[in-house]
Amino acid sequence: MTEAVIRKKAGMASVKDMPFLQDGPPPGGFAPVRFARRIPNKGPSAIAIFLATFGAFSWGMYQVGKGNKIRRALKEEKYAARRAILPILQAEEDERFVKEWKKYLEEEARIMKDVPGWKVGENVYNSGRWMPPATGELRPDIW
Amino acid sequence: MGSTGDAVGEPVPTSAVLMAAAKHIGTRCRNENLAFLKCKKDDPNPEKCLDKGRQVTQCVLHLLRDLHQNCSKELDSYAGCMYYHTNEFEFCRKEQKEFEKACPFP
Repeated sequence: MTEAVIRKKAGMASVKDMPFLQDGPPPGGFAPVRFARRIPNKGPSAIAIFLATFGAFSWGMYQVGKGNKIRRALKEEKYAARRAILPILQAEEDERFVKEWKKYLEEEARIMKDVPGWKVGENVYNSGRWMPPATGELRPDIW
Repeated sequence: MGSTGDAVGEPVPTSAVLMAAAKHIGTRCRNENLAFLKCKKDDPNPEKCLDKGRQVTQCVLHLLRDLHQNCSKELDSYAGCMYYHTNEFEFCRKEQKEFEKACPFP
């Protein structure tokens, strides 16, 4: 009802004769819109990009190599320290082992003294090389 | 941090003390170490290399006693730092520098 009151035209017979109310372009039309491609052709060339990539990669690998040298020096320091204290640790363990081995041999002699033909003491392998005892438990006092 | 000596004052060769003094052991007990290792390579039987092992032990314990007498404070702090950081050299550079300044290698 109100549209007819607002948009009425003198002498119109029905609502269907109202003037049109459309959404359209402004008078004179819209401003021109550019839709053509304009990709600029400047910037680094292919060779420049390749050289920059190669340079970044080689500088990075150089840094990696420097870091590896430092890490290797640190590891070498740790290994050299371990090599230096290995003999004293092994010597102490040897002393302890010899003491325990003598006790073990005495125990074996006591147990097997009535068995005929038992060569008491070492009855390990026949190769001639000394092998550590394979009793299944290395240090029962620790375990 | 505790001290590297026991009740009598003798330095106890724990792993931290040994690793702290490892460079000194490597230079001053080098001959005994090499002799012991060569004996071991020829015959791994522990009973055959007991004398050389005793020489190694004596050399290292004398060296530790010397270090404990000459620069016990630096040795204590370095070994304590090693004990705290489980024998990682990189964490104890400051104590290592002080220790090597107080007791330089021969």
